Amino acid sequence: MFSCVGLSKSFDKTLFDDFNLELEPGEIVAITGPSGCGKTTLLRCISGLENLDKGEILFSGHNITNLPAEERKIGLIFQKPVLYPHLNVGKNLKLASKNADISVALDEVNLSGFEKRSVHTLSGGEGQRVALARALLAEPSVLLLDEPFSSLDEELSKKLVIDVRNLLKKRNCPAILVTHNNIIAKDFADIIISLN
Amino acid sequence: MKSALVSIFIFSMMVSGCISESIEEKLSNGNMISPDDYVWEDDGELVIVTYDVTGLTDELLSEFENQSGYKVNLMKLEDAGSILSHLLQHKNVQIADIALGLDNTYLQTAIENQVLWEHFANISGLYENVLGPYSGPLATPFDHGYICLNYDTQIVDGENLTVPTNLWELTEDEWKGKIAIPSPETSSPGRAFMTATIDYFANDGDNQTDWRDWWTSISQNDAIITTGWSEAYETHYTGGYGEYTEGYVGDAHIVVSYCHSPGVEAWYSGNWTKSAALDLPRASFHQIEYVSAVEGGNLGAASAFIEYLLSEDVNQKMPTENFMYSVLDGSDLPEDDGYRYHSTIPSQVAEITPEEISANMEMWLEEWNKAMVAV
Amino acid sequence: MHNKYLGTASVCVFLTLILAPLWLAFDRLVWVAGFDIFSWINSLDENYISQGVLEFTVLQALLSSLVTLAIGIPVAWQLGRYEWPFQSLIRSILTMPFVMPSIVAAMGFMHIVGNEGLNIRTNANTWFATLIIAHAWFNISLVIRFCEPVLSTLDPKMEEQMRLLPAGKSKLGRLRNLWLPLMIPSIAAAACMTFVFSFTSFALVRWITLGENTLESMMAGVGSSAGISGYMVSKNEVILGSSLIQFTILLFSLWLMSWLQMKRQTLLPTTSETVAKSKNVLGWSVILPAICFAILPLLTIMIASFRINEVDASGSNQYWSLAGWEYAFSTTNSLPSAWDALQNSVGYALITLLIALPLGYILAQTIRDLEKERPKLARVVDLLTMLPFAVSSVMIGLGVMLGMIRIDAEFFYSIWFTPILAHVMITTPFVVRIILPALRSLEPKYEECARTLGLTNIQRFFIIEIPLLRGSILVAAIFIMAMSMGEFGASWVITRNSDWTTLPIIIDSIRSIPYNNPLTTPAANAVSTVLMLIALVLFVSTEKFRPTRDGGMF
Repeated sequence: MFSCVGLSKSFDKTLFDDFNLELEPGEIVAITGPSGCGKTTLLRCISGLENLDKGEILFSGHNITNLPAEERKIGLIFQKPVLYPHLNVGKNLKLASKNADISVALDEVNLSGFEKRSVHTLSGGEGQRVALARALLAEPSVLLLDEPFSSLDEELSKKLVIDVRNLLKKRNCPAILVTHNNIIAKDFADIIISLN
Repeated sequence: MKSALVSIFIFSMMVSGCISESIEEKLSNGNMISPDDYVWEDDGELVIVTYDVTGLTDELLSEFENQSGYKVNLMKLEDAGSILSHLLQHKNVQIADIALGLDNTYLQTAIENQVLWEHFANISGLYENVLGPYSGPLATPFDHGYICLNYDTQIVDGENLTVPTNLWELTEDEWKGKIAIPSPETSSPGRAFMTATIDYFANDGDNQTDWRDWWTSISQNDAIITTGWSEAYETHYTGGYGEYTEGYVGDAHIVVSYCHSPGVEAWYSGNWTKSAALDLPRASFHQIEYVSAVEGGNLGAASAFIEYLLSEDVNQKMPTENFMYSVLDGSDLPEDDGYRYHSTIPSQVAEITPEEISANMEMWLEEWNKAMVAV
Repeated sequence: MHNKYLGTASVCVFLTLILAPLWLAFDRLVWVAGFDIFSWINSLDENYISQGVLEFTVLQALLSSLVTLAIGIPVAWQLGRYEWPFQSLIRSILTMPFVMPSIVAAMGFMHIVGNEGLNIRTNANTWFATLIIAHAWFNISLVIRFCEPVLSTLDPKMEEQMRLLPAGKSKLGRLRNLWLPLMIPSIAAAACMTFVFSFTSFALVRWITLGENTLESMMAGVGSSAGISGYMVSKNEVILGSSLIQFTILLFSLWLMSWLQMKRQTLLPTTSETVAKSKNVLGWSVILPAICFAILPLLTIMIASFRINEVDASGSNQYWSLAGWEYAFSTTNSLPSAWDALQNSVGYALITLLIALPLGYILAQTIRDLEKERPKLARVVDLLTMLPFAVSSVMIGLGVMLGMIRIDAEFFYSIWFTPILAHVMITTPFVVRIILPALRSLEPKYEECARTLGLTNIQRFFIIEIPLLRGSILVAAIFIMAMSMGEFGASWVITRNSDWTTLPIIIDSIRSIPYNNPLTTPAANAVSTVLMLIALVLFVSTEKFRPTRDGGMF
């Protein structure tokens, strides 16, 4: 069980105040809201890349609020896939887990045989699939997705939304998606929360 | 972070403060130490601090190494002035064993500042004349020569330019920019020549002007003042071997050098030279170069080297290896290829006592400086 | 590596390393000369050796900048606006002089004007022109490096649009309304850098001029008698006065430089799309002479090292021979052999690399980290790392020399590592200047993503950061090696132990041997050739690894 209790953060204005969320294993939540409303910052705070003003993050009863990002075991998929240009696809995946079977992970995201490919040669959809495979290899307690489908065209994003959802459900991995697109949110999530 | 910066700054101030006090203490507490109090260690090495003394050939040094078992290490500085500065900067610090090349215009300052030690080399048979300025155990002459003006006889031939009969003629228009003089601040021949001019103008029967006025005029007459002797002689002087070297300019027909420089020219070029020494009474200076044991150094090695350098076999080679006179009694320049024939012994050298030099050198240099910048 | 303690420690090490010797030297000079800024400045006029030196220094530096622009701008224009076969090779050749050690250039130009070359040195007025041209030779690469990117990436539509406007109908109008406003920051930045380098010129001034000095070469000369209580006091004042003036002028130039650099960055097009360019046959008349000019001094040195010129009254005898090389690389002269000097140079360069690269890297990283959290402190540390640029190498040499005397001369003279201190002081600021822009251009996402994948601090540093910055790190490493191998000013001042002799010093020493030995010139040229080839190899390597648009100055 993963829960957020009373999360608050403000820069010049209040981004979110007293935000609460509870996730059961395998549950997928979508948070929607207009751009600039603090969705991305919320995810960055949960993942530990930014500090909260107030609030607690709990996982299986442990308080992980003060752990650095690298020790939280929370995965994050960025808007545009972050793939290291000096490493090929296989080596990018190895970053998450040294001993994992890379080919199985690639099979899961329908990219069989991509191990030796240079990341420069990947399309946007392929890149996002590699990033997803890599995030899952790290076996996160929860996966955060920051508008990962927004840079893809409609048809491609529809297909990817279904694929990712099925994969997460298969793995029983809870996830939080932030998006401004209500259709994607409906297709992807079990529950939709609207910020603001 | 800020506090760390501040503490470092304070720390460095403290360290530097402490150190400067200890230096002052060391410098002011120096009473003359007697040889019985010398403390030194034989590390099997001989460090010679010197400038471009050409006599230190590789054969000569390796022969000494073989004979004595000491390993020789050379510390070559720019000029004789740098040797003295180096000794003064590193007083009480063991950085060299031998100082080679201080001359009689520098030696007194070194002695007064107690940077030299008495050596125990067994020396005999030196020419009496070279022991005049200093004959004590702190320094031993190893070569000598006479500083005077040299001129190019092909240009200073009586037609284009006339041979000067006194130094004032050099301040006339025909000599504008045609005289090269090494600076007394940095070069030992330059310092020797300046010293000579003091005596020359004190005895020229003219009470209106003195040496300072002459230097002001010579400065206004665009005399070429160089850092060292070799720049004056090689780069600027038309009468010497400089014209065969890269970088030669050849704009000076008269230069401060040695009275035997034309002899060296002749010896090199098969008894031929166009350079001649200008023998004006009191306008030349008897320069004696010394070898000394350095305070705190390896005195055993230093003494062995001094004895070796003054041995007959080695020292009689001075004219051909180092282009200076040997200090051995009865020695002379070789006759071959007109070496001795083209060399001049000045009729009357400047008479300045070592005491006068040691008392006034700092002041003279400052006055020279003032004279040169006076307009 | 993002570690607060490591960052603080590196800043402290840097400050101690840079400031301690300078502070100690300053303290010692003041101890001799007294604290009186007015009399320090005045002493410049009251001493024969320093009289007129400031005027000469400024004059030659200004003229050098002008001549460098006059030669450099047409070359940069041709290179940037038209298409050339082997474009990158041509650019490399033209920018190569910048990494050449100054003593090598001095030997080259001495031979060009000497009696075996143009034989114009006997005219005493030529040395000034020679000096200016030699400075231009060094710095043309700056003009090319600063101006070419602006010229070559400008969207052709801008000029096409300008043609249609009344103000841009004529060539002159387009020059005045389009090109000049775009180019002036770059041109001025190049001129500013050229001014700084010419102002502190030492090796070239030492060999080419006839007794004229820059502040830098004059300080090197009188420095040998500095720091002795009650002895040559006025020379200590001269050093203090000159350092103060030089420091102020350099600091101002660097401030101007960084301001211009900022202006310049805003004018650089953000994308580097390749612009279709035409060929220009006439342009060869600019490019070809420029290539010859860049290569000539280096070719000259190489040829001259095999050329013996035995001349005396009986006539001249010139022949080809390896004797100069043998003389330089044997111990038969009373100097250390060039072989020993080569080993020292390589050793010093490698150890300097091991110290300066990590130190500079951590400093850059610290500045970058501070920029996010405490921008004001970041700016302070940034400025501190730039400060050594305003301290010339002779000043650093004097600092190390007098600092050694102050602390423990016997110890410092006895160890082989001492000169490395000066090399680290000189090279570290360059590392910061190369690494910092690279760190700034690094996507923060790369770091953040690695954290969410669970990579530790050290893992992120070695697996992500180092490989991503590989190009800039290699450029910095090679730069350190090249600067260390060619370092002349500081080494000239501090080298008093023959065990410390490096290649540039031995070139100077061999050429300084008095009396007409026909082997000294070829021997000095032989060692120069070795040094030149090393610099060339290092230069070719940097060109290979240089990131395409690093935004850095070097």
